[in-house]
Amino acid sequence: MRKEATLLLLTVLCLLLSGCWSKRELNEIAIVVALGIDQLDDEYEVTVQIVNPGEISSKQPTSGRSPVATYSATGATLYEAIRKVTLLSPRKSYFSHLQVVVLGSEFAATDINPAFDFLSRDHEFRNDFNIVVAYETTAKDIISVLTPIEKIPAHKITNSLEISEKAWGSTVSVTMDDVITLQYGKDSSLALSTIELIGNKKIGKSQENVNQIVVSAVLKYRGLAIIKQGKLVGILTEEESMGYNFLTDNIKSTIEKITCPNGGDLATEITNTKTSLKGKIVDDTPKIYIEVNVEQNVGEVNCVIDLVTEQAIKKINEETSNVIKQKIEKTLHALQKNYEADAVHFSNILHQQEPKKWRKIEHQWATLFPDVEVIVDVRVQTKNSGTIKNSTFFLSKE
Amino acid sequence: MKRSDTQQHTPSQLSPDAHQQPLFTSLQQTIDTIKRVAGNSDDVMVRQLYIGEAAKQSLAIVYVDGLVNKIEITNTLLEPIMGLFTNQIEKNIENTTDYLKQYCLTIGNVQEISDFATLYRSLYNGSAIIIIDGIATALSTNIKDAKDRAIMEPSTEAVIRGPRESFTETLRTNTALLRRKIKNPNLWIQTKVIGSVTQTDVAIIYVNGIANDKIVKEVIERLNQIDIDGILESGYIESIIQDVQFTLFPTMYTSERPDVIAGELLEGKVAIMVDGSPFVLIVPSLITSFIQSSEDYYSNPIVSSLIRLLRLVAIVLSLIAPSFYVAVTTFHQEMLPTPLLISIASQREGVPFPAVVEAILMELAFEILREAGLRMPRTIGPAVSIVGTLVIGEAAVSAGVVSAVTVIIVALTAICSFIFPSYGLSNSIRVLRFPFILLAGGFGLFGVMIAILALILHLCSLRSFGVPYMSPFAPLILENQKDAILLFPRKYLTKRPRLVNQTNITRASKYKKHYKRK
Repeated sequence: MRKEATLLLLTVLCLLLSGCWSKRELNEIAIVVALGIDQLDDEYEVTVQIVNPGEISSKQPTSGRSPVATYSATGATLYEAIRKVTLLSPRKSYFSHLQVVVLGSEFAATDINPAFDFLSRDHEFRNDFNIVVAYETTAKDIISVLTPIEKIPAHKITNSLEISEKAWGSTVSVTMDDVITLQYGKDSSLALSTIELIGNKKIGKSQENVNQIVVSAVLKYRGLAIIKQGKLVGILTEEESMGYNFLTDNIKSTIEKITCPNGGDLATEITNTKTSLKGKIVDDTPKIYIEVNVEQNVGEVNCVIDLVTEQAIKKINEETSNVIKQKIEKTLHALQKNYEADAVHFSNILHQQEPKKWRKIEHQWATLFPDVEVIVDVRVQTKNSGTIKNSTFFLSKE
Repeated sequence: MKRSDTQQHTPSQLSPDAHQQPLFTSLQQTIDTIKRVAGNSDDVMVRQLYIGEAAKQSLAIVYVDGLVNKIEITNTLLEPIMGLFTNQIEKNIENTTDYLKQYCLTIGNVQEISDFATLYRSLYNGSAIIIIDGIATALSTNIKDAKDRAIMEPSTEAVIRGPRESFTETLRTNTALLRRKIKNPNLWIQTKVIGSVTQTDVAIIYVNGIANDKIVKEVIERLNQIDIDGILESGYIESIIQDVQFTLFPTMYTSERPDVIAGELLEGKVAIMVDGSPFVLIVPSLITSFIQSSEDYYSNPIVSSLIRLLRLVAIVLSLIAPSFYVAVTTFHQEMLPTPLLISIASQREGVPFPAVVEAILMELAFEILREAGLRMPRTIGPAVSIVGTLVIGEAAVSAGVVSAVTVIIVALTAICSFIFPSYGLSNSIRVLRFPFILLAGGFGLFGVMIAILALILHLCSLRSFGVPYMSPFAPLILENQKDAILLFPRKYLTKRPRLVNQTNITRASKYKKHYKRK
C-alpha cells in the first residue's frame, strides 16, 4: 500500500515537471489584428497592428488613447523581423487572431512568395485572414490609419472588403486558405484586392482623424491587383474587376446601368448569378466556353419605358447581357493581352475537364493563354420590377 | 500502557445483550438490579402497588418517564390493576401473568419477559414493565408515546406537482407512510437493531417478488456485519456498507419523499430506513437516480425530457465551466471569436492574478459564502447575502482584483450547481471542480480532457451493490433509455430497469398506442 502510494505520488509529481508549458495570460499577449509587409531596400519591414483591449471595451468611456498601436521592425527574413517587434512592443505578438495581411505595393512588385511561405508555415497563423495589396503606398501607411465607427482599423479593412464583395462586386476577399487551395505555385497568377489611402496621411494616424464628420484620411478599395509569378503586374479597373468576379462566379449582387431604348438610364439589381466554365482542347488548341446566367430586378428607372410589356423586359435583358458581356470581355482582354496572367485559372478548368489532352499542352500554357479563344454567353432574366410597375414620374407622352 | 486493556472491549459489551441473566423471583431484587444498572437515573420510574383480595400481592410498574404515554399508564395499567380485588391471584401466583394478560390489561401489545436483556430493551423502547413478586416473568406493555414531528413538506426535494409529505424522524410513521402508498402484503419490512449502545431500529424494506433476492440477501448480510456503538443517521449506514469507500460519488440514493422511495421500490430496489432520520437509503442506486426528479414523472414527458436535458447541460457546465474558461483564456486564445477575446482581454487588463488563481479565489469565496449561508442562524442571512453580493460581485471587480468575466463564470457555475435534484451529487461536483481548474491552469484543455476521462473511468468502475453505477449507459441497455436522459410517456415504460431487477421485469402490459376517435 505504502509502495503504491509513493508510486502514485511520484507519478503525480511528474506532471508538475512540464510546468505551465505554453501558458499565456491574456494580459501578457498582444493581439495582432493586421500585419503589413513592405520592402525596404534589401530588407523586409513588417508592421503589426496591436489591439489595446482597454480602449475597445464598451464599458468605460475612452480615455482618448488610440484603440490600436502599430509597431514596425525590419529584418532580412520575415520571421526575424516579426521577432524583432518585441524590441518595441511591451508584449509578445499573438497572431492567431490576425484579420488581414496588407502587402505593400513595392513589396508586391518585387516578390510576394516569401510572405506566402511564411504565413502558411508558421503554426500560430490561422489561414482565415484576408490578403490585400496596398495601392501605390506602403502597407505601413495603410495599417496606420485610424478609422471611424470600427475602432479597430483591421476590422474596417476586412468588413469593407466583404461587404463590397457582396453588394458591389468589384473586390474579392482572398484568404490564405484560398491561396493554398488554389495550389498557387510559381507559375500561376492570382488576383488580390487593392486598398488605397486617400487624404492626409499625417492626420490619419492621429485620433483627430476619427473626431471629424468627414474624415481626413480614408481607406478605399480599388480594382484588383494581378499577381503573376509572385509579382504585381498590373491593376484592373473597377469595371474589369467586376468582370473578373463574373468570370469566377463570385458576384453575389451588384448594380448594372443600361441605356433605355428612348434615351435615359435604367439601373438593375443583379440578385443571382451562376457562371459555368467549360474547357475544350481540340488539336492542342484550348477553347473556353463561359455561360453566365443572371437574374435581376429593375431597381431604378430614369426614362420612359413601359415595363408591363414583354418587349420592354426583353430589351432590358438584352441590354444587361451586353453590358455584362462587355465587362467580361474587357477583363479577358486585360488578362490575356496586357498582363498575360491566367488569374481566372482557365488552366484548372482545362486540367479538370480534359486531363489527358491538358498534359500535352501544359508546358506551353504560358504562351497559349494569351490567344485562347473564349466564347462568352450571358443570359439574363428579369424577375421583378421592384415595388411599383411603371414609373409614375416618367410617364409616357403618348 | 492500558492500550491492551481497551483493545479487549468490543462495542457489543455495552449492549443490553450483555445482561442475559434471568429475572429474579424476588421483586425487590429485580427492582434493585434495574436501578443499579440504570445508575439510579431519575427518569426510570418504579411504581410499586398491591393487588389481590387482601391486597397482599406486591407488583411494580417500571417505565421511563417521557418515553411512555402517562395517560395510558393511568387508563390501561393503573386503573384496571388497582381495581383488581380478586382471590384468583392469591390462589395461584404462577397464573398472575396470564390472568393479567387475559382479563385485566386493556392494551393491545403485551409480551412476557423472562430475562434482563429483553427487559432493558423494551423498557428503553418506551414500554411499561409489570413485574410481579414471586415469579420470574414480567410483562411488557408497549405504550410508547411518540413525540413526533408532524409530517411536513420535504425541505430538500421540493416539487410543484406531487405529494407534499415527507418522512419524519420516527421509523413507525415512516413505514406507515410507505404502507399507505403500497397497500400490499408483499411490501415486506424487516427490522434489525444496530448499534450496541444506541440500539437503533433499522428497517429493510422491499417488495417481495419484485426485488432481486440476491440484493436483499446482500443488504441483510452487510447490515449484519455492522458492529458499531451507535447509528445516529442513515449516513452512518451508508458509509459503512457502500461498495467503494474512497469515492466522491454517492452510491446510495437518499430521499425524504415517500413517493420517490415507493417508486424506487416498485423498480425492484431495496430501501433502508433508520429510526431517527427522515432520509431513507435506496440500493442499488444508479447515476440516473441522481439526475432525475420525482416531478419528471408527474409532468408532461416531453417537457420532462427537455428539463432533464437542461439539467444535464447544467451539471456538465457546473463541472467544467470554470476550467474551460481558464484553459481557453490561458492556452487556447485562438478558440475564441476575436471580439469576445478582445472583450475578455480588456477586462483582464490590470488584474494582478493569472486566470487560474482568479478562478480558484472566486470559487473558494463562493463556496465559503454558500457554506456560511447554510450553517448560520437564519436571522443573519440577509447580512451574508449583502456582503456576498457587494464584496464578491461588485467590489472585487471595481477594485480590479478579479475580472468581471470570472465573476460571471463563477455565478454561472453556482446557479448550475443548484439545479441538481440530489444534494449528494451536487457536493461531489463541487469538490471536483477544483482539481479540474488546477489541471486546466497547468495543462489547458489537454488537462481538462484528461480529467474528464479519469472521471468517466472512475464512474464506470463504480458499483452499487453489484450493479454498475453507470447503467443504463455503460453497459448500454437500450430498453432502459426510455427513462434515462429522456423520458418516454408512461405508456411506453413497460419494463423495469434491467440489472437492478432480473426476474420480474414487466411492470405494465402494452397499451394501445392511440385511442381512436369513434
